[in-house]
Amino acid sequence: MVDLETIRKKAKEIVSREDVKHLIGWRKGTFGYRVTPYWVEAPEDAEELVYSPLCNTNLATSLTLAEKLPLPKGQEPDRRKTALLVRGCDSRAVVQLLTERGVDREQVVLLGLPCRGVVDLRKLKDSYPEDNEVADAEWKEDKIVLNVSGEKKEIPREEVLDDHCLVCRYPNPVEADETLGEKVEPWAEESHPGVEELENASFDKRWDFWEKEFERCIRCYACRNACPMCYCEDCILDRLNPTWIYRSNNYSENTAFHIARAFHLVGRCVSCGACERVCPAGIPLGKINQKLVKEVREKYEFEPGTDPEGVPFQASYNPQDQEDFIL
Amino acid sequence: MSEQFEPNIVAFLCNWCSYAGADLAGTSRTHYPANLKVIRVMCTGRINPLFVLNALQQGADGVLVSGCHPGDCHYMEGNMYARRRFRLMKDLLEYLGVDSRRFHMSWVSASEGGKWKEVVEKVVDEVSEIGPFEQFKREKINW
Amino acid sequence: MSEKPRVGVYVCHCGINIAATVNVEEVVEFASRLPGVTVVRNYAYMCSDPGQQLVREDIENENLNRIVVASCSPRMHEITFRRTLQDAGLNPYYLEMANIREHCSWVHPDSEEATPKAKKLVSAAVSKARMLEPLEEKEVDSERTAMVIGGGIAGIQSALDIADAGYQVYLVEKSPSVGGRMAQLDKTFPTLDCSACIMTPKMVDVANHPNIELMTYSEVEEVNGFIGNFEVKVRKKARYVDIDKCNGCGECADNCRVKNRIPNEFDANVGKRSAIYLPFPQAVPAKFTVDPDHCLYLTKGKCGKGPKCQEVCGTGAIDFEQQDEEVEVKVGAIIVATGFDTFDPSNKPEYGYQDYPNVITGLEMERLVAASGPTGGELLIGEGENARKPKKVAFIQCVGSRDASVGNEYCSRVCCMYTAKQAHLIKEKIPDAEVTVYYMDVRAFGKGFEEFYDRVRREGIRYIRGNPSEIFKKDDKLIVKVEDTLTATPREDEADLVVLAVGLEPRQDARGVIDLLRLSQTSDRFFMEAHPKLYPVDTSTDGVFLAGCAQGPKDIPDTVAQAKGAAASAMIPLSRGKVKVEAQTAEVNEATCRGCGFCTEVCPYSAIELKTINWFGHEVNVAEVNEALCKGCGTCSAACLSNSIQPRSFRDSQIMPQIAALGVKS
Repeated sequence: MVDLETIRKKAKEIVSREDVKHLIGWRKGTFGYRVTPYWVEAPEDAEELVYSPLCNTNLATSLTLAEKLPLPKGQEPDRRKTALLVRGCDSRAVVQLLTERGVDREQVVLLGLPCRGVVDLRKLKDSYPEDNEVADAEWKEDKIVLNVSGEKKEIPREEVLDDHCLVCRYPNPVEADETLGEKVEPWAEESHPGVEELENASFDKRWDFWEKEFERCIRCYACRNACPMCYCEDCILDRLNPTWIYRSNNYSENTAFHIARAFHLVGRCVSCGACERVCPAGIPLGKINQKLVKEVREKYEFEPGTDPEGVPFQASYNPQDQEDFIL
Repeated sequence: MSEQFEPNIVAFLCNWCSYAGADLAGTSRTHYPANLKVIRVMCTGRINPLFVLNALQQGADGVLVSGCHPGDCHYMEGNMYARRRFRLMKDLLEYLGVDSRRFHMSWVSASEGGKWKEVVEKVVDEVSEIGPFEQFKREKINW
Repeated sequence: MSEKPRVGVYVCHCGINIAATVNVEEVVEFASRLPGVTVVRNYAYMCSDPGQQLVREDIENENLNRIVVASCSPRMHEITFRRTLQDAGLNPYYLEMANIREHCSWVHPDSEEATPKAKKLVSAAVSKARMLEPLEEKEVDSERTAMVIGGGIAGIQSALDIADAGYQVYLVEKSPSVGGRMAQLDKTFPTLDCSACIMTPKMVDVANHPNIELMTYSEVEEVNGFIGNFEVKVRKKARYVDIDKCNGCGECADNCRVKNRIPNEFDANVGKRSAIYLPFPQAVPAKFTVDPDHCLYLTKGKCGKGPKCQEVCGTGAIDFEQQDEEVEVKVGAIIVATGFDTFDPSNKPEYGYQDYPNVITGLEMERLVAASGPTGGELLIGEGENARKPKKVAFIQCVGSRDASVGNEYCSRVCCMYTAKQAHLIKEKIPDAEVTVYYMDVRAFGKGFEEFYDRVRREGIRYIRGNPSEIFKKDDKLIVKVEDTLTATPREDEADLVVLAVGLEPRQDARGVIDLLRLSQTSDRFFMEAHPKLYPVDTSTDGVFLAGCAQGPKDIPDTVAQAKGAAASAMIPLSRGKVKVEAQTAEVNEATCRGCGFCTEVCPYSAIELKTINWFGHEVNVAEVNEALCKGCGTCSAACLSNSIQPRSFRDSQIMPQIAALGVKS
């Protein structure tokens, strides 16, 4: 793994470069376990950077979220590069964005970090409740060490890691200009927890499950905003002409929203789990995405975000694609 | 409830093969159930998979997408993209609990009037079996 | 939207075709209550002139701005009614049709079923019509030149016709001479014309025609653009001979150090040539070419004390420094006349083509009996002193045709007749020869074919119905093992010479042409025409036409006829000087496009490109549609995640109201 001082030192070095605008990393939030994305604009800001199992946002999202505000006439756009801390999933998102031309490789500096998985705060909620005190966490071999109000607790990783991280096969960056620290040995075989269970259920049982989940959706669109792949400035689901989905918050529109959202991620989802972690209603969005990730891998042998030169899945076909479902 | 359920099915057909095949079924005076209504597009590649979702929401009990056999596409490869997209849309709908019999895709060429009849009959039969689509049908909105 | 939609709905009775099952009155009443509908009428035959007049009058008097015609399939009359709208001064794309005949009255005999469905279809059509937009039918200028790829009889004929009409033609031929397959033939069936005698004048014509630029020993490298405006890159391969200086005397070939050691492709490899060669005496242009694969100087860098050819050439034409040359030409239309290859019989090892020298193909036979061939037209078997005339000759039909085991299910159409012709020629040359033809069916379908076949049989050629299972050698004789299926008798017939009537296959390098021109193949791997009956020389790429065997096996008259047809079609854009481009093309919303390039990847016509625009001071990429290339398939729009690219007339905002209308429970 890597120690914080190395990261901060390297970050300082990068931000000091003339061709770099800023570096995006994480810093402590204002309470509890929260960690938030952080824009390091000046070398001294780098002191605030953190890197821990609590860094649960996908930083690649920040690349596409950057707003392009209208410039006054004659003013040149800032052409300096954006630097980014990337773990396996962040880097896969960047790679996928490269294939979709969402990012220009020349315009980003990727500082790779190995990762042992992030904590799912919902799993901590009961046993290790969070309070207003700023709490901390760190990796220690196969454990997570929590530091709440000065008290240290060691927890086995399996208990609190996010489901996506438990089965992560890309703990190391797949694309980076430089990777700090030692590589982490991948710990998981390919699997899609929770997907098979539903696949084996009857149609009615599946719908019973999802209807209850979708009914809880409050359509806050946090999932959409946290996703590095949902970067349309004008989402079709927000449009009125034509209206794909009504604004009414009911299970019909909610279901349609979730189907459309998941479908747009076919062959693009990099399995970071950011959508699910931010969902205030606790809808297991990963279970939908993972189903499609699985199908795309099994039927089309495609894994998004692994080949920067690749053609996007949705924009390609193979003449031999299976068609046993076609009448 | 003695009255038999008559499903309402929306079909998206490409202009060159399936729509022409359905025309041929007409000129050959083939008979098939009237439950299925056709929306013509130029190519199956045009059919946004979200149309399927939209049709179900708007009151269709079943959806059919039909186009040219592989290699026959008037635009060379539109049907190849459609094949991929609809395979996954079907997977997704089924995974969420939509009966696999609600959504179908078929290849019907301009010369397959007979096949068109068979496809319509099969789709209508299957949707009749499962009954009306209620799962996420859009609620009536009164403005 | 600029103006409120005022929709006119016209329900056609189509005599009783619709009215007998669909209650037209009920549909009219229903349609009149649909939103935006101003006028509803019904008429016996909407497509008739009085029917169209109704529409025209209403557009004028009622100020209609959208028209829905509920009648037959739009594939039938969309064009008719578009013209009606145009005549009345309304944009033709303000039309939507509801197909209540093919999709309704003809397939649902029960009025209780047909009438409600007809209403639904009308309602969907009205919903879409309300959202239609006016489209502009654009035209762009067309180049008044054409390119013909392939210099066989098909390409030559097409080139001559276009050139005679007064347009410039570029005729591109891969090999050093035009002439193609026809030049290789000895006589033609069923008239027994000397092939060379009718072919060579045409070859000379193309070379001398002021409107034809002949590009032999050249290949098409790249094709860009679209009908009317193709940009074609042609690579002129180095001949290592300055064709302006070469006078075709042949001294070079006579003195070549590998003289008579290289199989001559033109002679189906039965004759030999030098490394510097003229493929055949009547070659056009009559200029020598150095074979870079066999020339000692070019392959080894050394040829004795110096290349002899260079030494003896009186005009100093030989230039080993010559390089390939690339030229770019602009043409309005392209004719593909790339011809065929013959089936390689080594794929049917039971016939022993590779094992026995006396098993030959039909094309080899042509060269052996040709007066200009390597043997001067004398047919001999055996070498040196043993050389003798064959007394027993067997012909086997359908080798590589009608044979699923080698992947060729089709009939090659010429083998029955060329076999009959060759059998006749053998009888002519060796009157006492015993000639047997083994056949599956004799297909003598063309003009004069059956008569010729009859004549050949009367000359004493034996026809045995049976597909030989094997050819093997017993002593010095070949044995043809076959079952005579008419008498169910197994036979083992002796033969001195076996001729395999090999079928026609697409060119080995056909794939390259397909990729260059975005053509399609039919299941037999020949190039696909736009429609098997109505557009037999057109292709799925506008402005690209097919002639000759590239499209499928055919004989010389059919080839010439098709070549003339292709020439006539290719001249349409040339003579108009303008080409229409599809009006229902895709349009990009630059404000929402995210520049991801999915559309550029999926577009089958490469009609979309990304361009950089200035977006309030920022450089952003957005898609841009080349409207001249776009065919309006809409594949881009379903790939677009932000729905920023939409095909006109099939936009989401036009299709979704249709879905809504059909979704309503009746």
